[in-house]
Amino acid sequence: MKINKKIINKIEGEATLKIKGEKKIEFVEIEFWQYREMENYLKGRHYMDALVINPRICGICGHSHLYATVRTIEKVFNAKISEKAEIFREVTTLLEIVENHIKWFYITIFPTQITDKEYIFKAVKFSSKISKAIALLAGQFPHNSYMVPGGVTCDPTYMEIMRLKDLIKEIKEEYIKEIMDENLYSKDLSKFFENLPKEIGKGLNKFLVLGESNIFKSNGDYKKITEEKNSSLSKNALYDNEFYEVGPLARMIVNENEKIKKIYNHYKDSIYTRMCARIYEPLILLEYIEKKLNELDLCEPSFIKPDVKEGKAKVSIEAPRGSLIHEISIKNEKIEFYNIIVPTQFNLASSRKKPSPAQAALMGENIEYTDSIFKCFDICAVCMSH
Amino acid sequence: MHSKLNVIWIDAVTCYGCTHSFLNYKEISSLFDKVNFLYHPLFLSDDFEIKNCNLLIVEGALKNNYPRLGFSLNELISKLFFKADKILALGTCAVYGGMFGEGIMYNKELKGKYYKCKDKIINLPGCPPHPDWIAYVINMISENKAIALDEFNRPQDIFAYTSHMGCIRNEYFEWKIDSENFGTKEGCLFYYQGCQGPFTHSSCNKLLWNEVSSKPRAGTPCFGCTEPSFPKDELFKTDTFMGIPANIPLGVSKRAYLTLSGIAKSLNNERLSVQLIEYECGDKNENK
Amino acid sequence: MKLYYNNRKKGVRVSKEEKKELIMKTALNLFAKQGFYNTTIADIAKEMGMSVGNMYNYFPSKESLAKELLIYTSKKFGEEIRKINEMDIHSRDKIKKIVKLYFETAINEPELIDYFMRVYLSNKEIFANGCEGMLCVSAFVTEIMIFFEEGVRKKELKNQDFFAAFGLFMGYIGGLAFLNKEGILTKSLSEYIEPVSENIYNALKA
Repeated sequence: MKINKKIINKIEGEATLKIKGEKKIEFVEIEFWQYREMENYLKGRHYMDALVINPRICGICGHSHLYATVRTIEKVFNAKISEKAEIFREVTTLLEIVENHIKWFYITIFPTQITDKEYIFKAVKFSSKISKAIALLAGQFPHNSYMVPGGVTCDPTYMEIMRLKDLIKEIKEEYIKEIMDENLYSKDLSKFFENLPKEIGKGLNKFLVLGESNIFKSNGDYKKITEEKNSSLSKNALYDNEFYEVGPLARMIVNENEKIKKIYNHYKDSIYTRMCARIYEPLILLEYIEKKLNELDLCEPSFIKPDVKEGKAKVSIEAPRGSLIHEISIKNEKIEFYNIIVPTQFNLASSRKKPSPAQAALMGENIEYTDSIFKCFDICAVCMSH
Repeated sequence: MHSKLNVIWIDAVTCYGCTHSFLNYKEISSLFDKVNFLYHPLFLSDDFEIKNCNLLIVEGALKNNYPRLGFSLNELISKLFFKADKILALGTCAVYGGMFGEGIMYNKELKGKYYKCKDKIINLPGCPPHPDWIAYVINMISENKAIALDEFNRPQDIFAYTSHMGCIRNEYFEWKIDSENFGTKEGCLFYYQGCQGPFTHSSCNKLLWNEVSSKPRAGTPCFGCTEPSFPKDELFKTDTFMGIPANIPLGVSKRAYLTLSGIAKSLNNERLSVQLIEYECGDKNENK
Repeated sequence: MKLYYNNRKKGVRVSKEEKKELIMKTALNLFAKQGFYNTTIADIAKEMGMSVGNMYNYFPSKESLAKELLIYTSKKFGEEIRKINEMDIHSRDKIKKIVKLYFETAINEPELIDYFMRVYLSNKEIFANGCEGMLCVSAFVTEIMIFFEEGVRKKELKNQDFFAAFGLFMGYIGGLAFLNKEGILTKSLSEYIEPVSENIYNALKA
């Protein structure tokens, strides 16, 4: 049987699909070939340098890498941070998730059904505003390093906090009006599904949330994570030797979100449910951010100097596309070892033995739906092949 | 009325930070009126084809045996390079190599593969470059205006400045009041936190990032990301020789700088020696 | 290093600057002989053959004379060390030249070293206003900083805390000058240039 090679790009990089099948996808392998050796690059460097290098693993979700990096180092040092610093970090990390989902919707997946550059401008309208909100605390976006072991480098006044609150309110109101409202009604999403069936793209129906966060409860234990090589330069991530789906849909299901559950009951984990979850998640996050900003006490210290120690630690946080794991080993203030497992390694693993969530979603579907189904998993190719 | 500029924007070895910085440019729709993006690695464009264009934008570094769009990256760039009227090396990776490989005109501080063709090249380093800088170059080329370049082919309008110009902590720099720890709005970051602002070419503190801030305003030192040495070892530490900074502000002799600093350190600025703002603590500053 | 004229030349017109230098040199000698607090402006004026009123044209008070002396000596020392700094020689040789400069001054113009150690270091209250920190000695300290910085940059000296190195160097040569003044050394100070320089280099080398 002929195997067609198809390069899918515009996914923060590219992936190569090897598709077996003429009209329907009988089997598909997902390969990533752009390898940058980030973990090697970190070896031997001072541990603080990871705070500058790791955000540059990825230009769209780099802030999550920063968060995971600082948390891992703090775990080694057993460092404490103030509540104020923790709130700042949560706010900026969740804002990045909101920005990611908007860009994914309008720039990555929307064009697979509707080509109109107006949607790029719509994405920019939101992303520039959200980046501004992040910069009020973090200095700039993308690529800041304002989180350091012990807290944050910024020391904002009420000027910045009040402005931030106004911005968040505006972002939320515009989101509800122009992207999706509290009842999950979205004009753009309906437009997307005008000519696309809603029940295609069902994955493995197995969900995993590993990140330690205050907003999403997790349902797993990092010790059960393993990595395995696949046919390309990326690695598959498994939990308890099985493939699981991570990401907004997993977060909604594991946390029993009522609105998404209703859609899930009807469509299971199809492309439609997955997209609803990803487009709805920002509303939950924005509301949480507003709540947290009201709990802020500016008198607390931004930074508490930690005791520098040696040792190993592993941490997981919830990044835009799912659970992200960072693992570090520090000796003599230098990085002896660093390992990163990204959410795309779970969702877009590639195996000949058993299917990953994306493989399962693609297999059995019409080839004409490949792009949309593939991209509904929101791939970050540069993270995948770090 | 100028005709639309045909632009091919290609991704070399990159993290796409340059593109995402560009996607923060609020007036992006007016750029689309002046430019045809024949290809872009992230947003909507035509299918990729190797063809002529007015401006080739390369984001990312060159690297051997790296696959891109079914080609070998370096060969692909070479083909595109000679079919373009002008080339914009976008970001520190494309200009000097940065973290991921070699640059187009430079390989760190040495001459790179395309140095001989430098008349065609405009360099816009930065990790990432500011969206206004990118829009500036596109606009200037679209209106057929000459861009004044410095000796490294960087636009002077942007790189004649240093990060230090416009830093809100400049009074602390002047009076040598150093911040010994992170997290305070007071204090200069030059001596204890590794800030490279005084010797880094950029206009970050002039334009501000995202219209509101910059790294030093948020207490993070400038990492010198527009310079060939980025990222250096130990970015949060100031290189010193016997306690004396190894790198001093541009254009000043060591003797002059040490004399000035010594005098500043000997004198006292009372206002800057204490906290700028004091909050009443407890109860989250609620009015009683 | 000859800073000033040894003798006043009778009948020869001297410039204001030269006159100032003469006054400072005379003051230094008197401070060394009688002590700082026991010397008055009147004493210096008498030694110079000037009226007290005329003295005040050059120095409005003893305090201002004290501070200017500090700046002036610092500048002179600084200029000599700058010449050494600008030589294209190894740090080890620069150390020897600096030690030689200091010891020869201690031998030929002991009142200068005396002023630094007895008056400046021991009477900080005189200098508190207008000579805070390294304000008045910056010409000298800056050259030492440059010597250290270049030595480490060229990988000839070990990178370490500035004051640890500064204290070792200055404390050591100051201490030898003190012992010499007390008449305790068994050899002439110039015979110590070689071993002291070697010791300093061995302590600071990379």
